Amino acid sequence: METIFINIEEFLTSWMVGMGLAQPWADLIITILQWTIIVLIITVNTIVLVWMERKVSGFIQERIGPNRLGPFGAFQTIADTLKLLTKEDIVPARADKLIFKTAPMFFIIVSVMLYAVLPLGNNMAVVDLNVGLFYFISLASLSTICLLMAGWGSNNKWSLLGAMRSVAQMISYEIPLVFSLLGVVMIAGSLNLTDIVTAQNRVWFIILQPVAFIIYFIAATAELNRGPFDMPEAEQELTAGAYTEYTGMRWALFFLAEYTNLVAVSVLAATLFLGGGHGPWLPSWLWIIIKTYLIMLVFMWTKWTFPRIRMDHLLSFSWKVLIPVSLANILVTGAGIELFRWMGW
Amino acid sequence: MIGKGLLKGLGITFKHGKEKNITVQYPEVMPYLQERYRGCLEFDPKDCIVCGMCIKACPNNVLSLESAAMPGSKKKQLVSYTIDLQYCMFCNLCVEACPTNTLYFTHHFELSTAERGAIKRIYTPAPGTPVADGESEAVIIPPEALADQVDTEAEAKRLKQVQAMKGAISKGNSKVLAKFVDSEEDASLLLIILQGDEKKQDKMAALMIDDKDKARKVATAFVAKEKRDKAKSEEGKQ
Repeated sequence: METIFINIEEFLTSWMVGMGLAQPWADLIITILQWTIIVLIITVNTIVLVWMERKVSGFIQERIGPNRLGPFGAFQTIADTLKLLTKEDIVPARADKLIFKTAPMFFIIVSVMLYAVLPLGNNMAVVDLNVGLFYFISLASLSTICLLMAGWGSNNKWSLLGAMRSVAQMISYEIPLVFSLLGVVMIAGSLNLTDIVTAQNRVWFIILQPVAFIIYFIAATAELNRGPFDMPEAEQELTAGAYTEYTGMRWALFFLAEYTNLVAVSVLAATLFLGGGHGPWLPSWLWIIIKTYLIMLVFMWTKWTFPRIRMDHLLSFSWKVLIPVSLANILVTGAGIELFRWMGW
Repeated sequence: MIGKGLLKGLGITFKHGKEKNITVQYPEVMPYLQERYRGCLEFDPKDCIVCGMCIKACPNNVLSLESAAMPGSKKKQLVSYTIDLQYCMFCNLCVEACPTNTLYFTHHFELSTAERGAIKRIYTPAPGTPVADGESEAVIIPPEALADQVDTEAEAKRLKQVQAMKGAISKGNSKVLAKFVDSEEDASLLLIILQGDEKKQDKMAALMIDDKDKARKVATAFVAKEKRDKAKSEEGKQ
Protein backbone atom coordinates (compact mmCIF):
# COMPACT_ATOMS: atom_id res chain seq x y z
CA MET A 1 0.00 0.00 0.00
CA GLU A 2 2.82 2.37 0.90
CA THR A 3 4.32 2.54 -2.57
CA ILE A 4 1.18 1.96 -4.64
CA PHE A 5 1.31 5.27 -6.53
CA ILE A 6 5.08 5.07 -7.06
CA ASN A 7 4.67 1.52 -8.36
CA ILE A 8 1.98 2.65 -10.79
CA GLU A 9 4.24 5.42 -12.00
CA GLU A 10 7.22 3.08 -12.47
CA PHE A 11 5.03 0.54 -14.22
CA LEU A 12 3.70 3.18 -16.62
CA THR A 13 7.18 4.49 -17.37
CA SER A 14 8.61 1.04 -18.02
CA TRP A 15 5.56 0.15 -20.13
CA MET A 16 5.99 3.27 -22.29
CA VAL A 17 9.73 2.65 -22.66
CA GLY A 18 8.94 -0.94 -23.50
CA MET A 19 6.56 0.29 -26.22
CA GLY A 20 9.55 1.97 -27.86
CA LEU A 21 9.19 5.50 -26.45
CA ALA A 22 12.39 7.38 -25.54
CA GLN A 23 12.96 7.89 -21.79
CA PRO A 24 12.63 11.74 -21.82
CA TRP A 25 9.27 11.50 -23.61
CA ALA A 26 8.01 8.95 -21.14
CA ASP A 27 9.10 11.22 -18.27
CA LEU A 28 7.30 14.15 -19.90
CA ILE A 29 4.08 12.16 -20.22
CA ILE A 30 4.40 11.05 -16.60
CA THR A 31 4.89 14.67 -15.50
CA ILE A 32 1.81 15.77 -17.45
CA LEU A 33 -0.09 12.89 -15.86
CA GLN A 34 1.08 13.95 -12.40
CA TRP A 35 -0.09 17.53 -12.94
CA THR A 36 -3.43 16.30 -14.26
CA ILE A 37 -3.85 14.23 -11.13
CA ILE A 38 -2.89 17.20 -8.94
CA VAL A 39 -5.48 19.41 -10.66
CA LEU A 40 -8.01 16.62 -10.19
CA ILE A 41 -7.11 16.32 -6.51
CA ILE A 42 -7.47 20.08 -6.11
CA THR A 43 -10.89 20.13 -7.76
CA VAL A 44 -12.21 17.22 -5.74
CA ASN A 45 -10.70 18.69 -2.58
CA THR A 46 -12.39 22.02 -3.22
CA ILE A 47 -15.74 20.36 -3.71
CA VAL A 48 -15.32 18.43 -0.47
CA LEU A 49 -13.96 21.45 1.39
CA VAL A 50 -16.79 23.79 0.41
CA TRP A 51 -19.24 21.19 1.65
CA MET A 52 -17.16 20.67 4.80
CA GLU A 53 -16.91 24.40 5.45
CA ARG A 54 -20.68 24.78 5.19
CA LYS A 55 -21.29 21.78 7.43
CA VAL A 56 -18.76 22.96 10.04
CA SER A 57 -20.21 26.46 10.08
CA GLY A 58 -23.65 24.90 10.38
CA PHE A 59 -22.65 22.79 13.36
CA ILE A 60 -20.98 25.74 15.05
CA GLN A 61 -24.03 27.94 14.52
CA GLU A 62 -26.44 25.19 15.56
CA ARG A 63 -27.79 24.88 12.05
CA ILE A 64 -27.96 21.83 9.81
CA GLY A 65 -26.12 23.10 6.76
CA PRO A 66 -26.68 21.63 3.30
CA ASN A 67 -28.83 18.52 3.63
CA ARG A 68 -31.03 18.35 0.55
CA LEU A 69 -28.92 16.94 -2.23
CA GLY A 70 -27.52 13.50 -1.64
CA PRO A 71 -26.58 12.01 1.73
CA PHE A 72 -25.95 14.88 4.19
CA GLY A 73 -26.08 17.32 1.27
CA ALA A 74 -22.86 15.91 -0.16
CA PHE A 75 -23.78 16.71 -3.77
CA GLN A 76 -24.69 20.32 -3.01
CA THR A 77 -21.29 21.61 -4.09
CA ILE A 78 -21.47 19.67 -7.35
CA ALA A 79 -24.79 21.32 -8.11
CA ASP A 80 -23.30 24.70 -7.20
CA THR A 81 -20.35 24.04 -9.49
CA LEU A 82 -22.70 23.22 -12.36
CA LYS A 83 -24.60 26.42 -11.65
CA LEU A 84 -21.39 28.47 -11.66
CA LEU A 85 -20.27 26.85 -14.92
CA THR A 86 -23.51 27.79 -16.67
CA LYS A 87 -23.76 31.32 -15.32
CA GLU A 88 -23.34 34.35 -17.55
CA ASP A 89 -19.80 35.69 -17.74
CA ILE A 90 -20.08 39.42 -17.08
CA VAL A 91 -17.16 41.73 -17.73
CA PRO A 92 -17.85 45.28 -16.54
CA ALA A 93 -17.86 47.80 -19.40
CA ARG A 94 -15.35 50.15 -17.77
CA ALA A 95 -13.09 47.39 -16.47
CA ASP A 96 -9.48 46.97 -17.54
CA LYS A 97 -10.44 43.93 -19.58
CA LEU A 98 -7.06 42.24 -20.00
CA ILE A 99 -6.16 42.47 -16.31
CA PHE A 100 -9.70 41.62 -15.25
CA LYS A 101 -9.74 38.47 -17.32
CA THR A 102 -6.22 37.24 -16.56
CA ALA A 103 -6.30 37.80 -12.78
CA PRO A 104 -8.25 34.62 -11.88
CA MET A 105 -6.16 32.58 -14.32
CA PHE A 106 -2.90 33.71 -12.75
CA PHE A 107 -4.32 33.15 -9.30
CA ILE A 108 -5.24 29.54 -9.99
CA ILE A 109 -1.97 28.88 -11.88
CA VAL A 110 0.09 30.20 -8.97
CA SER A 111 -1.96 28.14 -6.53
CA VAL A 112 -1.54 24.95 -8.52
CA MET A 113 2.21 25.55 -8.92
CA LEU A 114 2.58 25.38 -5.14
CA TYR A 115 1.95 21.64 -5.35
CA ALA A 116 5.12 21.01 -7.33
CA VAL A 117 7.24 20.64 -4.22
CA LEU A 118 4.71 19.36 -1.70
CA PRO A 119 5.46 15.74 -0.79
CA LEU A 120 2.03 14.07 -0.79
CA GLY A 121 3.60 10.94 0.72
CA ASN A 122 7.08 9.45 0.90
CA ASN A 123 8.95 10.31 -2.32
CA MET A 124 5.72 11.63 -3.81
CA ALA A 125 6.66 15.23 -4.61
CA VAL A 126 6.37 16.10 -8.29
CA VAL A 127 9.72 17.88 -8.19
CA ASP A 128 12.19 17.04 -5.42
CA LEU A 129 13.58 20.57 -5.27
CA ASN A 130 16.50 21.31 -2.90
CA VAL A 131 15.08 24.80 -2.22
CA GLY A 132 11.51 23.56 -2.05
CA LEU A 133 10.47 25.69 0.90
CA PHE A 134 11.95 28.78 -0.66
CA TYR A 135 10.08 28.03 -3.90
CA PHE A 136 6.82 27.57 -1.98
CA ILE A 137 7.13 30.84 -0.07
CA SER A 138 8.09 32.89 -3.11
CA LEU A 139 5.17 31.50 -5.13
CA ALA A 140 2.71 31.96 -2.28
CA SER A 141 3.48 35.67 -2.17
CA LEU A 142 2.69 35.97 -5.89
CA SER A 143 -1.01 35.59 -5.16
CA THR A 144 -0.91 39.13 -3.75
CA ILE A 145 -0.30 40.43 -7.26
CA CYS A 146 -3.22 38.41 -8.61
CA LEU A 147 -5.57 39.90 -6.04
CA LEU A 148 -4.27 43.38 -6.82
CA MET A 149 -4.85 42.70 -10.53
CA ALA A 150 -8.42 41.64 -9.80
CA GLY A 151 -9.06 44.69 -7.65
CA TRP A 152 -7.50 47.13 -10.08
CA GLY A 153 -9.00 45.58 -13.21
CA SER A 154 -12.53 45.60 -11.83
CA ASN A 155 -12.56 49.43 -11.78
CA ASN A 156 -14.67 49.31 -8.65
CA LYS A 157 -13.85 51.13 -5.44
CA TRP A 158 -14.76 48.16 -3.25
CA SER A 159 -12.61 45.85 -5.30
CA LEU A 160 -9.66 48.23 -5.13
CA LEU A 161 -10.09 48.72 -1.38
CA GLY A 162 -10.19 44.97 -0.90
CA ALA A 163 -7.14 44.49 -3.08
CA MET A 164 -5.23 47.20 -1.21
CA ARG A 165 -6.13 45.62 2.09
CA SER A 166 -5.03 42.22 0.88
CA VAL A 167 -1.69 43.63 -0.29
CA ALA A 168 -1.06 45.35 3.04
CA GLN A 169 -2.11 42.27 4.97
CA MET A 170 -0.32 39.65 2.90
CA ILE A 171 2.96 41.54 2.76
CA SER A 172 2.85 42.18 6.51
CA TYR A 173 2.15 38.57 7.33
CA GLU A 174 4.67 37.22 4.85
CA ILE A 175 7.44 38.16 7.27
CA PRO A 176 6.31 36.25 10.39
CA LEU A 177 5.33 33.34 8.12
CA VAL A 178 8.87 33.07 6.74
CA PHE A 179 10.48 33.69 10.11
CA SER A 180 8.39 30.97 11.73
CA LEU A 181 9.52 28.50 9.05
CA LEU A 182 13.14 29.50 9.60
CA GLY A 183 13.25 27.72 12.96
CA VAL A 184 12.23 24.45 11.30
CA VAL A 185 14.77 24.95 8.54
CA MET A 186 17.51 25.59 11.10
CA ILE A 187 16.79 22.37 12.96
CA ALA A 188 16.38 20.27 9.81
CA GLY A 189 19.33 21.94 8.13
CA SER A 190 17.66 21.82 4.72
CA LEU A 191 15.18 23.68 2.51
CA ASN A 192 14.16 20.45 0.81
CA LEU A 193 10.74 19.39 2.05
CA THR A 194 11.53 15.68 1.75
CA ASP A 195 14.62 16.18 3.93
CA ILE A 196 12.57 18.10 6.48
CA VAL A 197 10.13 15.18 6.67
CA THR A 198 13.01 12.75 7.11
CA ALA A 199 14.43 14.95 9.91
CA GLN A 200 11.16 14.39 11.83
CA ASN A 201 11.84 10.68 12.08
CA ARG A 202 12.13 10.68 15.84
CA VAL A 203 10.21 13.77 16.95
CA TRP A 204 7.75 16.05 15.18
CA PHE A 205 8.76 19.68 14.90
CA ILE A 206 5.55 20.85 16.54
CA ILE A 207 7.10 19.67 19.82
CA LEU A 208 10.43 21.37 19.14
CA GLN A 209 8.89 24.50 17.64
CA PRO A 210 5.45 25.10 19.24
CA VAL A 211 5.74 28.89 19.04
CA ALA A 212 6.73 28.68 15.40
CA PHE A 213 3.70 26.48 14.70
CA ILE A 214 1.30 28.95 16.30
CA ILE A 215 2.88 31.87 14.45
CA TYR A 216 2.77 29.89 11.23
CA PHE A 217 -0.89 29.08 11.79
CA ILE A 218 -1.85 32.70 12.45
CA ALA A 219 0.22 34.06 9.59
CA ALA A 220 -1.11 31.42 7.22
CA THR A 221 -4.69 32.33 8.13
CA ALA A 222 -3.89 35.92 7.24
CA GLU A 223 -2.11 34.86 4.04
CA LEU A 224 -5.16 32.86 3.00
CA ASN A 225 -7.45 35.84 3.64
CA ARG A 226 -9.57 33.63 5.84
CA GLY A 227 -11.55 34.65 8.88
CA PRO A 228 -10.82 36.22 11.36
CA PHE A 229 -8.38 37.91 8.98
CA ASP A 230 -10.73 38.18 6.00
CA MET A 231 -10.50 41.95 5.78
CA PRO A 232 -9.87 41.89 2.00
CA GLU A 233 -13.19 40.13 1.43
CA ALA A 234 -15.21 41.52 4.33
CA GLU A 235 -18.67 40.92 2.86
CA GLN A 236 -20.32 43.38 5.23
CA GLU A 237 -18.02 46.28 4.33
CA LEU A 238 -16.65 45.64 0.84
CA THR A 239 -19.38 43.34 -0.56
CA ALA A 240 -16.68 40.84 -1.58
CA GLY A 241 -13.53 42.88 -1.93
CA ALA A 242 -11.59 42.08 -5.06
CA TYR A 243 -14.19 39.50 -6.14
CA THR A 244 -17.11 41.95 -6.25
CA GLU A 245 -17.31 42.25 -10.03
CA TYR A 246 -16.60 38.62 -10.84
CA THR A 247 -19.33 36.22 -11.89
CA GLY A 248 -19.71 32.61 -12.93
CA MET A 249 -16.61 30.59 -13.61
CA ARG A 250 -14.17 33.48 -13.16
CA TRP A 251 -15.42 33.92 -9.63
CA ALA A 252 -15.35 30.16 -9.15
CA LEU A 253 -11.69 30.15 -10.18
CA PHE A 254 -10.92 32.56 -7.34
CA PHE A 255 -12.79 30.32 -4.98
CA LEU A 256 -10.99 27.28 -6.31
CA ALA A 257 -7.64 29.04 -5.87
CA GLU A 258 -8.50 30.04 -2.30
CA TYR A 259 -9.28 26.49 -1.32
CA THR A 260 -6.26 25.25 -3.27
CA ASN A 261 -4.12 27.61 -1.20
CA LEU A 262 -5.82 26.37 1.94
CA VAL A 263 -4.94 22.79 1.09
CA ALA A 264 -1.39 23.74 0.13
CA VAL A 265 -0.78 25.66 3.34
CA SER A 266 -2.27 22.81 5.38
CA VAL A 267 -0.13 20.22 3.60
CA LEU A 268 2.91 22.40 4.29
CA ALA A 269 1.96 22.65 7.96
CA ALA A 270 1.55 18.87 8.12
CA THR A 271 4.88 18.42 6.37
CA LEU A 272 6.88 20.87 8.46
CA PHE A 273 5.36 20.46 11.90
CA LEU A 274 3.31 17.26 12.04
CA GLY A 275 5.88 14.86 10.63
CA GLY A 276 4.59 14.70 7.06
CA GLY A 277 3.86 11.12 6.13
CA HIS A 278 5.19 9.69 9.38
CA GLY A 279 2.71 7.65 11.33
CA PRO A 280 1.96 4.12 12.39
CA TRP A 281 0.10 1.44 10.39
CA LEU A 282 -1.31 3.59 7.59
CA PRO A 283 0.59 4.45 4.38
CA SER A 284 2.30 7.85 4.28
CA TRP A 285 0.02 9.42 1.69
CA LEU A 286 -3.03 8.57 3.84
CA TRP A 287 -1.33 10.11 6.87
CA ILE A 288 -0.72 13.31 4.92
CA ILE A 289 -4.40 13.45 3.95
CA ILE A 290 -5.55 12.86 7.54
CA LYS A 291 -3.18 15.47 8.98
CA THR A 292 -4.06 17.98 6.29
CA TYR A 293 -7.77 17.59 6.90
CA LEU A 294 -7.27 17.93 10.66
CA ILE A 295 -5.41 21.19 10.15
CA MET A 296 -8.08 22.42 7.75
CA LEU A 297 -10.76 21.60 10.30
CA VAL A 298 -8.91 23.79 12.80
CA PHE A 299 -8.73 26.54 10.15
CA MET A 300 -12.50 26.31 9.72
CA TRP A 301 -13.07 26.11 13.44
CA THR A 302 -11.17 29.34 14.02
CA LYS A 303 -12.83 31.04 11.06
CA TRP A 304 -16.33 30.41 12.37
CA THR A 305 -15.42 31.20 15.97
CA PHE A 306 -13.65 34.55 15.89
CA PRO A 307 -15.09 37.85 14.69
CA ARG A 308 -13.25 39.81 12.04
CA ILE A 309 -10.30 41.81 13.31
CA ARG A 310 -9.94 45.52 12.57
CA MET A 311 -7.48 46.56 9.86
CA ASP A 312 -5.15 48.59 12.08
CA HIS A 313 -5.23 45.91 14.79
CA LEU A 314 -4.42 43.35 12.13
CA LEU A 315 -1.32 45.20 10.96
CA SER A 316 -0.12 46.19 14.42
CA PHE A 317 -0.56 42.58 15.57
CA SER A 318 1.76 41.49 12.80
CA TRP A 319 4.40 44.17 13.26
CA LYS A 320 4.31 44.52 17.03
CA VAL A 321 3.64 40.96 18.18
CA LEU A 322 4.23 38.29 15.57
CA ILE A 323 7.48 39.58 14.05
CA PRO A 324 9.25 40.20 17.41
CA VAL A 325 8.06 36.85 18.74
CA SER A 326 9.19 35.01 15.62
CA LEU A 327 12.57 36.76 15.74
CA ALA A 328 12.94 35.75 19.38
CA ASN A 329 11.98 32.21 18.38
CA ILE A 330 14.76 32.16 15.81
CA LEU A 331 17.21 33.43 18.43
CA VAL A 332 16.16 30.80 20.96
CA THR A 333 16.26 28.05 18.33
CA GLY A 334 19.77 29.07 17.21
CA ALA A 335 20.98 29.25 20.79
CA GLY A 336 19.40 25.87 21.53
CA ILE A 337 21.04 24.24 18.51
CA GLU A 338 24.44 25.63 19.55
CA LEU A 339 23.83 24.53 23.11
CA PHE A 340 23.01 20.95 22.08
CA ARG A 341 25.99 20.86 19.75
CA TRP A 342 28.24 22.09 22.56
CA MET A 343 26.81 19.40 24.83
CA GLY A 344 27.81 16.94 22.12
CA TRP A 345 24.41 15.55 20.91
CA MET B 1 -2.77 34.51 30.14
CA ILE B 2 -2.89 35.95 26.65
CA GLY B 3 -5.18 34.04 24.35
CA LYS B 4 -7.39 32.65 27.10
CA GLY B 5 -10.43 34.36 25.58
CA LEU B 6 -9.65 32.85 22.20
CA LEU B 7 -9.53 29.35 23.67
CA LYS B 8 -12.78 30.01 25.51
CA GLY B 9 -14.38 31.05 22.23
CA LEU B 10 -13.12 27.92 20.51
CA GLY B 11 -14.53 25.88 23.40
CA ILE B 12 -17.93 27.52 23.04
CA THR B 13 -18.14 26.86 19.31
CA PHE B 14 -16.97 23.29 19.86
CA LYS B 15 -19.78 22.77 22.35
CA HIS B 16 -22.24 24.26 19.86
CA GLY B 17 -21.29 21.53 17.44
CA LYS B 18 -22.65 18.92 19.81
CA GLU B 19 -25.83 20.77 20.78
CA LYS B 20 -29.20 20.25 19.13
CA ASN B 21 -29.80 22.23 15.98
CA ILE B 22 -32.40 24.94 16.21
CA THR B 23 -33.22 24.84 12.51
CA VAL B 24 -36.86 24.14 11.64
CA GLN B 25 -37.04 22.10 8.43
CA TYR B 26 -39.84 24.22 7.06
CA PRO B 27 -41.67 22.32 4.35
CA GLU B 28 -41.63 19.14 6.43
CA VAL B 29 -42.11 20.78 9.81
CA MET B 30 -44.44 23.76 9.99
CA PRO B 31 -43.21 26.68 12.09
CA TYR B 32 -44.94 27.46 15.38
CA LEU B 33 -47.13 30.52 14.95
CA GLN B 34 -48.36 32.79 17.74
CA GLU B 35 -52.10 32.99 18.30
CA ARG B 36 -52.41 36.48 16.86
CA TYR B 37 -50.16 35.81 13.88
CA ARG B 38 -51.44 37.64 10.81
CA GLY B 39 -51.46 35.21 7.93
CA CYS B 40 -53.82 35.29 4.99
CA LEU B 41 -56.87 37.59 5.32
CA GLU B 42 -60.06 35.51 5.20
CA PHE B 43 -63.68 36.47 4.74
CA ASP B 44 -66.79 34.64 5.85
CA PRO B 45 -69.67 35.63 3.52
CA LYS B 46 -72.43 34.36 5.79
CA ASP B 47 -71.65 36.88 8.54
CA CYS B 48 -71.33 39.96 6.34
CA ILE B 49 -73.92 42.71 6.87
CA VAL B 50 -72.59 44.76 3.92
CA CYS B 51 -71.85 47.78 6.11
CA GLY B 52 -68.71 48.69 4.15
CA MET B 53 -66.71 49.60 7.25
CA CYS B 54 -63.83 47.40 6.17
CA ILE B 55 -63.56 49.17 2.82
CA LYS B 56 -63.48 52.56 4.56
CA ALA B 57 -60.84 51.32 6.99
CA CYS B 58 -58.50 49.87 4.38
CA PRO B 59 -55.59 52.21 3.58
CA ASN B 60 -54.54 50.32 0.45
CA ASN B 61 -57.87 49.70 -1.28
CA VAL B 62 -57.46 45.99 -0.90
CA LEU B 63 -61.13 45.34 -0.26
CA SER B 64 -64.16 45.92 -2.46
CA LEU B 65 -67.68 44.57 -2.47
CA GLU B 66 -70.71 44.44 -4.70
CA SER B 67 -74.12 44.56 -3.10
CA ALA B 68 -77.75 44.54 -4.17
CA ALA B 69 -80.92 45.74 -2.50
CA MET B 70 -82.90 42.98 -0.88
CA PRO B 71 -86.47 42.55 -2.16
CA GLY B 72 -89.05 44.07 0.13
CA SER B 73 -86.63 45.78 2.48
CA LYS B 74 -84.11 48.60 2.67
CA LYS B 75 -81.33 46.19 3.61
CA LYS B 76 -78.58 45.12 1.27
CA GLN B 77 -77.41 41.68 0.45
CA LEU B 78 -73.91 40.69 -0.63
CA VAL B 79 -73.32 39.84 -4.27
CA SER B 80 -69.54 39.43 -4.19
CA TYR B 81 -66.65 40.38 -1.93
CA THR B 82 -63.10 40.82 -3.26
CA ILE B 83 -59.83 40.75 -1.31
CA ASP B 84 -56.94 41.78 -3.56
CA LEU B 85 -54.29 40.41 -1.25
CA GLN B 86 -51.32 41.63 -3.30
CA TYR B 87 -51.83 45.14 -1.93
CA CYS B 88 -52.56 44.05 1.63
CA MET B 89 -50.05 45.11 4.27
CA PHE B 90 -51.73 43.08 7.02
CA CYS B 91 -52.32 46.18 9.15
CA ASN B 92 -55.36 44.68 10.86
CA LEU B 93 -57.47 47.87 10.43
CA CYS B 94 -60.24 46.12 8.49
CA VAL B 95 -60.39 43.33 11.05
CA GLU B 96 -60.73 45.90 13.83
CA ALA B 97 -63.39 47.78 11.88
CA CYS B 98 -65.57 44.77 11.13
CA PRO B 99 -68.54 44.71 13.55
CA THR B 100 -69.41 41.06 12.94
CA ASN B 101 -65.93 39.48 12.84
CA THR B 102 -66.51 38.55 9.23
CA LEU B 103 -62.92 39.43 8.33
CA TYR B 104 -60.18 37.65 10.19
CA PHE B 105 -56.54 36.62 9.88
CA THR B 106 -55.74 32.95 9.55
CA HIS B 107 -52.47 31.14 10.20
CA HIS B 108 -52.18 30.29 6.53
CA PHE B 109 -49.05 32.03 5.21
CA GLU B 110 -48.10 30.22 1.99
CA LEU B 111 -49.54 32.85 -0.30
CA SER B 112 -47.44 32.43 -3.41
CA THR B 113 -49.37 31.71 -6.59
CA ALA B 114 -48.41 30.74 -10.10
CA GLU B 115 -50.31 33.61 -11.68
CA ARG B 116 -50.63 37.17 -10.56
CA GLY B 117 -54.40 37.17 -10.75
CA ALA B 118 -54.71 34.17 -8.47
CA ILE B 119 -53.75 36.18 -5.41
CA LYS B 120 -57.07 38.03 -5.74
CA ARG B 121 -59.77 36.25 -3.76
CA ILE B 122 -63.41 36.71 -4.71
CA TYR B 123 -66.10 35.45 -2.36
CA THR B 124 -69.67 34.99 -3.56
CA PRO B 125 -72.17 33.86 -0.94
CA ALA B 126 -73.94 30.64 -1.84
CA PRO B 127 -77.63 31.12 -2.66
CA GLY B 128 -79.85 30.08 0.21
CA THR B 129 -77.55 31.18 3.05
CA PRO B 130 -79.45 33.29 5.56
CA VAL B 131 -78.75 37.00 5.40
CA ALA B 132 -76.85 38.09 8.44
CA ASP B 133 -79.02 40.70 10.11
CA GLY B 134 -80.26 38.71 13.04
CA GLU B 135 -83.97 39.26 12.48
CA SER B 136 -85.43 38.50 9.08
CA GLU B 137 -85.81 35.07 7.59
CA ALA B 138 -84.42 36.33 4.29
CA VAL B 139 -81.88 34.29 2.44
CA ILE B 140 -79.24 35.21 -0.07
CA ILE B 141 -80.69 35.17 -3.56
CA PRO B 142 -78.39 34.69 -6.52
CA PRO B 143 -77.94 37.95 -8.46
CA GLU B 144 -79.68 36.78 -11.67
CA ALA B 145 -82.71 35.54 -9.76
CA LEU B 146 -82.69 38.78 -7.82
CA ALA B 147 -82.90 40.80 -11.05
CA ASP B 148 -85.83 38.67 -12.27
CA GLN B 149 -87.65 39.07 -8.99
CA VAL B 150 -87.25 42.84 -9.09
CA ASP B 151 -88.67 42.89 -12.66
CA THR B 152 -91.80 40.90 -11.84
CA GLU B 153 -92.50 43.01 -8.80
CA ALA B 154 -92.13 46.26 -10.68
CA GLU B 155 -94.34 44.88 -13.44
CA ALA B 156 -97.07 43.94 -10.97
CA LYS B 157 -96.90 47.37 -9.39
CA ARG B 158 -97.16 49.05 -12.77
CA LEU B 159 -100.11 46.93 -13.83
CA LYS B 160 -101.87 47.85 -10.63
CA GLN B 161 -101.31 51.53 -11.28
CA VAL B 162 -102.44 51.24 -14.88
CA GLN B 163 -105.58 49.43 -13.70
CA ALA B 164 -106.28 52.18 -11.19
CA MET B 165 -105.81 54.83 -13.86
CA LYS B 166 -108.20 53.00 -16.19
CA GLY B 167 -110.72 52.77 -13.41
CA ALA B 168 -110.45 56.49 -12.79
CA ILE B 169 -110.97 57.23 -16.48
CA SER B 170 -113.96 54.96 -16.85
CA LYS B 171 -115.53 56.42 -13.73
CA GLY B 172 -115.30 59.85 -15.37
CA ASN B 173 -112.72 61.37 -13.03
CA SER B 174 -111.30 64.15 -15.22
CA LYS B 175 -108.92 65.36 -12.50
CA VAL B 176 -106.36 62.66 -13.26
CA LEU B 177 -106.30 63.84 -16.85
CA ALA B 178 -105.96 67.51 -15.98
CA LYS B 179 -102.19 67.07 -15.51
CA PHE B 180 -101.72 66.05 -19.12
CA VAL B 181 -103.68 68.77 -20.89
CA ASP B 182 -103.75 72.54 -20.69
CA SER B 183 -107.23 73.25 -19.27
CA GLU B 184 -110.23 71.75 -17.46
CA GLU B 185 -112.19 72.00 -20.68
CA ASP B 186 -109.63 69.95 -22.56
CA ALA B 187 -109.56 67.42 -19.75
CA SER B 188 -113.27 66.77 -19.93
CA LEU B 189 -113.04 66.64 -23.73
CA LEU B 190 -110.23 64.03 -23.43
CA LEU B 191 -112.33 62.10 -20.96
CA ILE B 192 -115.15 61.87 -23.46
CA ILE B 193 -112.74 60.72 -26.20
CA LEU B 194 -111.22 58.02 -23.99
CA GLN B 195 -114.53 56.76 -22.67
CA GLY B 196 -115.69 56.32 -26.23
CA ASP B 197 -112.70 54.15 -27.20
CA GLU B 198 -111.50 51.14 -25.11
CA LYS B 199 -108.15 50.88 -26.97
CA LYS B 200 -107.30 54.53 -26.56
CA GLN B 201 -108.23 54.23 -22.89
CA ASP B 202 -105.75 51.36 -22.32
CA LYS B 203 -102.93 53.03 -24.20
CA MET B 204 -103.40 56.32 -22.45
CA ALA B 205 -103.48 54.76 -19.01
CA ALA B 206 -100.25 52.85 -19.69
CA LEU B 207 -98.56 55.93 -21.06
CA MET B 208 -99.63 58.01 -18.11
CA ILE B 209 -97.81 55.63 -15.81
CA ASP B 210 -94.71 54.89 -17.90
CA ASP B 211 -93.90 58.09 -19.73
CA LYS B 212 -95.59 61.25 -18.62
CA ASP B 213 -94.13 63.51 -21.33
CA LYS B 214 -95.29 61.23 -24.10
CA ALA B 215 -98.71 60.92 -22.45
CA ARG B 216 -98.96 64.72 -22.45
CA LYS B 217 -98.07 64.93 -26.13
CA VAL B 218 -100.54 62.19 -27.08
CA ALA B 219 -103.26 63.75 -24.94
CA THR B 220 -102.73 67.16 -26.50
CA ALA B 221 -102.82 65.59 -29.95
CA PHE B 222 -106.07 63.76 -29.16
CA VAL B 223 -107.70 66.95 -27.91
CA ALA B 224 -106.47 69.00 -30.87
CA LYS B 225 -107.81 66.38 -33.33
CA GLU B 226 -111.16 66.24 -31.54
CA LYS B 227 -111.35 70.05 -31.71
CA ARG B 228 -110.58 70.07 -35.43
CA ASP B 229 -113.19 67.35 -36.06
CA LYS B 230 -115.76 69.34 -34.15
CA ALA B 231 -114.90 72.46 -36.10
CA LYS B 232 -115.17 70.53 -39.41
CA SER B 233 -118.55 69.03 -38.47
CA GLU B 234 -119.82 72.46 -37.47
CA GLU B 235 -118.61 73.85 -40.82
CA GLY B 236 -120.44 71.00 -42.53
CA LYS B 237 -123.69 71.83 -40.70
CA GLN B 238 -123.42 75.38 -41.74
